[in-house]
Amino acid sequence: MDILNSMLGGFEAAFTLTNLAYICVGIVLGIIFGVLPGLGSVTALAMLIPITFYFTPLAAIAFLVGINKGGTSGGAIPAILINAPGTPEAAATALDGYPLARQGRPEKAMKTALYSSVFGDTFSDIVLILLAAPFAAIALTFGPNELTTIILFSFTMIAALAGRSLVKGLIAAALGLFLSTWGLDPVDSTERMTFGTIYLYDGIPLLPFAIGTLALSSVLSQLYDMRRDRGKPPPPPLPPASQFRVENRIAPREFWGNWKTLIRSACIGTGVGILPGLGVTLAAFLGYGAARRASPRGDNFGKGELEGIQATEAANSAVVGSNLIPTIALGIPGNVAAALLIGAFMIHGVVPGPLMMVNHAELIYSIFASMLMANLAHLIIGRVGIRIWVQFVKIPKHIVLPTVVLLCVVGVYIPTNSMFDVGMLFLFAGVGYLMRKSGFSIVCLVIGFLLGENFEIYLRQTVLINKADLTVLLTNPISLAFLLLTLFFIWHFGIRVPLRQKRERAAAREADASSD
Amino acid sequence: MLKRIALAAAAATAFAGIAGSAGAYPDKPITLIVPYKAGGTTHTKSMVLSKALGKELGGTVVVKTRPGAGSAVGVTFLSKAKPDGYTIAYTDLGNLIWNPMTKKDVAYTVDHVRLIAGISEYQSALITTPDKPFKTLDELLAYSKTNPVNVADMGGMSKVFLNYIAAKENVKWTAIPTRGGGEMVPFLLGGKIDFAFSGGIHQKHGDKMIVLASFLANGLAKDPDAPTTQERYGIAMPGNSVLAAPAGLPDEIAMKLEAAAKAAMDDPDFTQVLKNIQFPKRFIPSSEIAEFTAEVTKKLQEVVEATK
Repeated sequence: MDILNSMLGGFEAAFTLTNLAYICVGIVLGIIFGVLPGLGSVTALAMLIPITFYFTPLAAIAFLVGINKGGTSGGAIPAILINAPGTPEAAATALDGYPLARQGRPEKAMKTALYSSVFGDTFSDIVLILLAAPFAAIALTFGPNELTTIILFSFTMIAALAGRSLVKGLIAAALGLFLSTWGLDPVDSTERMTFGTIYLYDGIPLLPFAIGTLALSSVLSQLYDMRRDRGKPPPPPLPPASQFRVENRIAPREFWGNWKTLIRSACIGTGVGILPGLGVTLAAFLGYGAARRASPRGDNFGKGELEGIQATEAANSAVVGSNLIPTIALGIPGNVAAALLIGAFMIHGVVPGPLMMVNHAELIYSIFASMLMANLAHLIIGRVGIRIWVQFVKIPKHIVLPTVVLLCVVGVYIPTNSMFDVGMLFLFAGVGYLMRKSGFSIVCLVIGFLLGENFEIYLRQTVLINKADLTVLLTNPISLAFLLLTLFFIWHFGIRVPLRQKRERAAAREADASSD
Repeated sequence: MLKRIALAAAAATAFAGIAGSAGAYPDKPITLIVPYKAGGTTHTKSMVLSKALGKELGGTVVVKTRPGAGSAVGVTFLSKAKPDGYTIAYTDLGNLIWNPMTKKDVAYTVDHVRLIAGISEYQSALITTPDKPFKTLDELLAYSKTNPVNVADMGGMSKVFLNYIAAKENVKWTAIPTRGGGEMVPFLLGGKIDFAFSGGIHQKHGDKMIVLASFLANGLAKDPDAPTTQERYGIAMPGNSVLAAPAGLPDEIAMKLEAAAKAAMDDPDFTQVLKNIQFPKRFIPSSEIAEFTAEVTKKLQEVVEATK
């Protein structure tokens, strides 16, 4: 009942026209930043936090939360329309969203993405409201021992994401892992692969790496295809959307028919958000992978399956709310966006951490209320916006693609003001392009890179804390559980499923041969 | 016609050039480099400092973060900028000196940088939680003689200092690398480590954390009674944040910047933010900064020698 009373108080404080206006402006700005490939909620937050100093604390946080929500869902729009995810977390959205758009149903894909996003967001916000206070005690039991095995387990999903060839997937992931070790050694500060340049001391910067391999390489690949097809007659233009009015509708039954996927992904996203350092992109791919395995139409994933979009968007948006659980309860940012929010809190004299719930309870519940209001506003603004975004497909590619290249460069340059990062962007666009054309999974590369840094440091912390005695991983119940899960996944997806597929293919060949 | 426009443009540019050199500084936005990640304490302070400086100078000061290599990337960038007062930096003095002293690939030396003024202080300390069997530095040392002890360091200078103290006291501390306060705090609160180095983040956690020792020579603002590593071991961390410019900055501009920084100390917004994050102001005028830096450099040199 306490929570209910506090929430009512929160709504009372938050439900003002000014606050609502800040939320709406935040969401619009967030979506715009998310739509522009290369930019995202992180860039938007970094750029706009300074102006919030002149707002009241509640308005400032409501505004920034709006940006974060809009930015996370906005990335899906270019992913669906031009197969260039605006943010890394929307990469999995492109897998099914883009084929659906090619089939003349871009609006349907975008509606599905938006509704799933708002669903995941709301789910996660409710978990946040219920768990923020009791969470502190549980989260503190997770140390290096537990985190090492959790990340080890996360690696196994590479097997599920690798696509056709497990070997190529593993090679890509290993390359990502290798790239994550560049820079100063986290324990002894010795240089590794820095080539003597100070710019690589902190390792390969994430933003140029992710935008280069995921977004820019896709654009380059499309530009190349355009050049190759120059002489050929243009493909028949997409029929006007009005012809597809029926196909672009989405019936409630069609959307909620996949309720299991929505809830599964929302749970995955929420779980990933609670654990610091795992990140939105991981949640998106975990949600997608889990849905593909569980769905009876799993084989259709990647060909324009609605469920694939739902799985991804519900998962990546669900991170946004639950990420604030460690942020508020412990003062530990779950990801870069939350780290920037902590900076914003501090500017206003609100210090995230165990004392925040005690000292600033009223403000926190007003923020919670603002988050729920933001979800509703997001639904309305996003829905109205679809009409506008869908016009994007009508702009010819030879105008869109170069613009996207420019925006990728700007997006990489702005946060650090570094031309070195821009160089890295093009380098990794090249790497991504070669991988695309040779069938290596870029997603596996990025996952290997993202998890690599944390895996190394947690493993080394584990070794140091336990004085090189790793049997603790077998006696610690949480570690042991994740180790067993890891073994099960390797056996299931690495050995059992491929063997079965091989047998099935062999059987199909025999059947073909005998029918001849 | 085109030619005439080009001529006019050229004349305008030339005139702007003359006006620029003769006119009052600043006549265009000033870039304030912060060599740390956005969202950290240095960046948080810089955002209000830039507003206050802009107000005093009658211009705009734009914060740009150039993070990397414990501030070496941003400071290298500063050292290579034109010394015209339009590129300045806000950073910590300790790493500014420490990086070129200890890393061989750092492309600047302290001589490439002109320090304008000291601004505030970090609050570096050795900390622990109240549930541990030791409450003071002495108790910790006694405990370390008989028990295995883990300490969270944050790399670089903090690790060197911890190793030095352990060697002096003949105890064995296992240093667990962490990537900053965000990682150290949960490990400490969760009981994964015994004590830790903190750059000042412990102040956010009230009585959930206790201070064992101060790394600042003059002690901590909030815990003035904590023993300092200076009095115990003769080494201390320079905790000052400074305003810096590329070497070769004209004196006239340096004085303007220093006056603005001094005035910014009384800016209500800046005062409020420092109060919120509980970092004390510590203005060091340019007349004292050379001597101050020389002293810090000497001390750090001793640390390097002692910890070799």
